[in-house]
Amino acid sequence: MITIRELTAGYGKLEILQDLSLSFAERQFSAVLGPNGSGKSTLMKAIMNLNTVFGGSIHLRERELIGVPTEAISRLGIAYVPQRENIFDELTVLENLQLGARILPKHDRPTALKELQEIFPILGRRGAQQAVTLSGGEHQMLAIAIAWLSKPSIMLLDEPSAGLAPAIAIDVFRVLGELREQGMTLIVVEQNARRVLQYCDYAFVLREGMLVFQGTAEECLRDEETIKSYLGVH
Amino acid sequence: MGDNLPPALLTTSLVNTIQIGSLYALMALGITLTFSVMKLPNFAHAEYATAGAYAALIVSLSGVLNPLVIMIAAFVVGALSALISHLAVFKPLERRDVSFYTLILASFAVGLIIRYILFTMADYFNLFDLRIAIPLRVLFREGTLILSNLFAWVVPTSLVLVFILTLLLNRSPLGREMRALANNVNLARVIGIPVERVKNYTWLLVGGLAGVAGALWGLQTAVHPLMGWGAIISVFAAAILGGLSSFSGTILGAYVVAFSENTVILFLNVNYGVDLAYKPAIPFIIIIVVLLFRPQGLTKLIRRAGDLGR
Ligand SMILES: Nc1ncnc2c1ncn2[C@@H]1O[C@H](COP(=O)(O)OP(=O)(O)O)[C@@H](O)[C@H]1O
Ligand SMILES: [Mg+2]
Repeated sequence: MITIRELTAGYGKLEILQDLSLSFAERQFSAVLGPNGSGKSTLMKAIMNLNTVFGGSIHLRERELIGVPTEAISRLGIAYVPQRENIFDELTVLENLQLGARILPKHDRPTALKELQEIFPILGRRGAQQAVTLSGGEHQMLAIAIAWLSKPSIMLLDEPSAGLAPAIAIDVFRVLGELREQGMTLIVVEQNARRVLQYCDYAFVLREGMLVFQGTAEECLRDEETIKSYLGVH
Repeated sequence: MGDNLPPALLTTSLVNTIQIGSLYALMALGITLTFSVMKLPNFAHAEYATAGAYAALIVSLSGVLNPLVIMIAAFVVGALSALISHLAVFKPLERRDVSFYTLILASFAVGLIIRYILFTMADYFNLFDLRIAIPLRVLFREGTLILSNLFAWVVPTSLVLVFILTLLLNRSPLGREMRALANNVNLARVIGIPVERVKNYTWLLVGGLAGVAGALWGLQTAVHPLMGWGAIISVFAAAILGGLSSFSGTILGAYVVAFSENTVILFLNVNYGVDLAYKPAIPFIIIIVVLLFRPQGLTKLIRRAGDLGR
């Protein structure tokens, strides 16, 4: 669904990703693993045109994404939940949700906001609250909800469970599993390989800006030692 | 404590406080909005007011005396001056990723350019120190206190506009998007908010309000190419009292500055012989004191007061 060929990308003059080629399949939950600083976030930002691309191509189905302004990418059906600063914390929860739904046709917005209550029940009761007052788990749910409300076909999530208590991180993954069941294509950056491998279909491992391993979740679990060595955990 | 102010002087100065404070509020809200949404402390802001005042003057000299038409002309010219300065100067500079200081200097330069365009025009057509030609009527007179129909224009118009602006910002989809830009511009892009379009609307809005403020100012005094520039420090003092981020803080700040410039200085003059010529120093003192001791402005004070209310 998203096909990346020989992508070299980074910041300013700095090249972080080197000649990266990989492909995220439709209606699958793909995980992007790798140690800190391996270029996982840089890959997400390159897809969203938020950094510098030096060469290569990024295709959404047949369409070239490189050069498409960030503002236009959400209309192509890609939603992105950044690692940090992924909500409008000075606005209320309801305003955040309204902004998430703003690219839908007007008559679809109320339905989307209603459906949201079923997937993210916790947010319904928080509408009038300023988003900065949410707990860590609620904050992350809101960030995912904003992205979900645009009714994307693909969601990119950058470490959605970072900094959450284990029980709450599992809630987040349960929601992602639910979205996957509904047919959403998910691309999720994760630090905690063991946890994400319980939920994902396929995993990629990056190291120093290069792809060092890819395989199905089962393959990864079977070959745990290799994965561990790539991730630098022992 | 010395003597109290004579009541008549006190009343006159309070009337001035309300009148001037309302105009400061209209301009300072624009500065706060520009700073929040565009991250630019715009020193050309006062020139949009002057441009609006000249638009009002020219329309009134052409024989149209309907105040509504005059105000609309002022709004349109102020709005266009703001949008053009964005499209011609600020936006290209932002594209080049210039520093904050470059942008500030650029805003001084834009102000200078507009000011001298107006000077040239005023010189050519001899438009110095003219009043916007709305007939003056006295509504109320007691001793030295005179309330004309201008007071009845300036204060309600400013208050209504401030109210509409607050409503627009807090209740409309466009206002929500402006606040989203102010809060997190990258996320705004990611979720598909047309950032450049929202910025253009913001410029039209702040320029238009400044234009109307200029026209109202020209109603009560006279129109001159330096009139906006003369008020810019006071207006910035008001915005800084609002922490350059809070709307209620900015409005309150506008009245605090106007009160200090009209009532406090008079009090000091009567009681302690402080020369009225020190008036221009007041906004500078306010700016320095706020930046030294309360750089966040009045915002937190208001929030705390709000908490107490609950
Ligand atoms: N905005 C930036 N400017 C310059 N270098 C950056 C920027 N963001 C990240 N980097 C660098 O790019 C490399 C990869 O970072 P990142 O993609 O964030 O890693 P990961 O998400 O895998 O932890 C790191 O060396 C980091 O220092
Ligand atoms: Mg990262």
